[in-house]
Amino acid sequence: MLSVDNLVVRYGAVSAVRDLSLKVGRGELVALLGPNGAGKSSTINALTGLVTPASGRIVLDGQDISRVRTEDRIRAGLTSTPEGRHIFANLTVGENLRLGAATRRDPKGVRGDIDRFLALFPVLSERYGQAAGTLSGGEQQMLAISRSLMSRPKLLLLDEPSLGLAPKIVERIFDFIGELKREGLTLLVVEQNARQALRFADRVYVVSAGTLRYEGPPAELADEHGLFNLYIGG
Amino acid sequence: MARSDVAQAIENTAPSAAVAQPGSAMMRSLVGGLVTALPVLAIGLAILNFAPTYYTYLALGAFVNLIVVVGLQVFMGNSNIANLGHSAFVGLGAYGVAILSTPLAMKKLSIPNAPFGFATLQLDPVSSALIALMVVGIVAAVSGKVISRLSGVAATIVSLALLIIVHSVFLNWTDLFKGNQAFFGIPKVVGLPWMLVFSVVVIVAARLFKDSRWGLQLRASAQSPQAAAALGIDARRLRLMSWVLSALICGLAGVLYAYFAGTISPKLFYFQMIFNTLAMLILGGMATVTGAVTGVIVLSVGLEFIRSIESGVTIGAIQLPQLLGLSGVALGVVIVLCMAFRPSGISGRHELDELLSRFFRRNAK
Repeated sequence: MLSVDNLVVRYGAVSAVRDLSLKVGRGELVALLGPNGAGKSSTINALTGLVTPASGRIVLDGQDISRVRTEDRIRAGLTSTPEGRHIFANLTVGENLRLGAATRRDPKGVRGDIDRFLALFPVLSERYGQAAGTLSGGEQQMLAISRSLMSRPKLLLLDEPSLGLAPKIVERIFDFIGELKREGLTLLVVEQNARQALRFADRVYVVSAGTLRYEGPPAELADEHGLFNLYIGG
Repeated sequence: MARSDVAQAIENTAPSAAVAQPGSAMMRSLVGGLVTALPVLAIGLAILNFAPTYYTYLALGAFVNLIVVVGLQVFMGNSNIANLGHSAFVGLGAYGVAILSTPLAMKKLSIPNAPFGFATLQLDPVSSALIALMVVGIVAAVSGKVISRLSGVAATIVSLALLIIVHSVFLNWTDLFKGNQAFFGIPKVVGLPWMLVFSVVVIVAARLFKDSRWGLQLRASAQSPQAAAALGIDARRLRLMSWVLSALICGLAGVLYAYFAGTISPKLFYFQMIFNTLAMLILGGMATVTGAVTGVIVLSVGLEFIRSIESGVTIGAIQLPQLLGLSGVALGVVIVLCMAFRPSGISGRHELDELLSRFFRRNAK
């Protein structure tokens, strides 16, 4: 579904991503792991169009989207949930959900989707008319993911969904992510929290210092020592 | 195609009762705007029917300020970028109709050497107003192209530069704008009733924009540019849109001002107006249209009161001295106190109709 070939992302003279290639197949949950500053977020930003890659190709369903605007990538089926939640705290829960459908032009369908998320997460329904900032951290993350899903993506990129959340909440969020996968959604999950990410992952990429260090099934990474070595670049 | 619809599976569960119907959202927004305009309408009608002429004249000035402040809210309230240039558009609107609609006999006295045949051209007030607003729209679109690419302080500085440029043109292109002197003889075709009608229209328009998908997206991108960009929201386009709409409303205020005062001069559309209207918006609360209206009412009444003290009052046997400059000091104090104690303004984040419906719901329980 998604194939990234020889991606290079540079900020001025600094290369954040060097010659990275990866593939995500339809219905797969692929985890992109790596330590802080490894280039994971830069990769996501290049995929969503928030930064322009210096070189390399991003192909979604056979269509080269490397130079396409973000909103057209979303229309093509690729949506991301940015790192650190970033819900619109002063806007209501309902408005947050509506904003997720910014690229859609079918009000009826949007309304139907909002209804479904409210039924799925009763807390969002209770707080529908309240400022989203009043939700707890975990609820905000659920809202952020729901908001991304409002654009009806085929492929969802999740950037650090566990960031700043208590372990128990992280587990619930990954349960939800696992559920999304079972529903048939394709996911690319970027994480520092390897243990949770490996629960549902079909395949794993590990990046460090902007380059790929490991590619394969999660089972081989289960050896924590191996992962540790990859993280520190050993 | 596999959709992300988690909830397809639970589609048969009971639908949520809390859901709003976006079809009626526009209706609610319209009603909300009218509710916000109601106090303005009431005050206007009271003045129209009961107040002496002197107050009618004062009220006309306040209504012009109201339209300017609502225009200012359309850009500032939604994009969260401070605008220090809006009175340039008020001036362009006013000078536009002055140049186009002033009777030829008057023009012979005031701008005999006007270029492009303006000295021998006289249009009716309505066409003049439409053309003036078109000019405002064009200037706004061009300046907006620059401003919408910037954000925060940089955009504010550009808006300030725009004000200074337009003001210098008014001052120095004397053949067309009469420079520092008053431009007189503009037909006085607007009275309080028209001013009221346009005030209501502008308040409702500002509310509709705020609640529209564009307004909502713009407010979202002002809050979190990163999240908005990730959702495919084009903040630049929306900033440009609100900038032009804001400019048109300010231009309309200028048109109305020229048509009721009959005389204008460049200094009317300079820093004094910027500070007055900005103080009104900040005091009332820039996040809402209600805030804009509240700020204008409170500060207009307050400043008029202070002005009467300024010129010296006699209370019983005591004659207070003249306190020139008091209104300027008061304006500054109001801004400082407001920023310190209630930065979101009197009305905060909620519109009048939202506050009312909350109030009634709470009492109903």
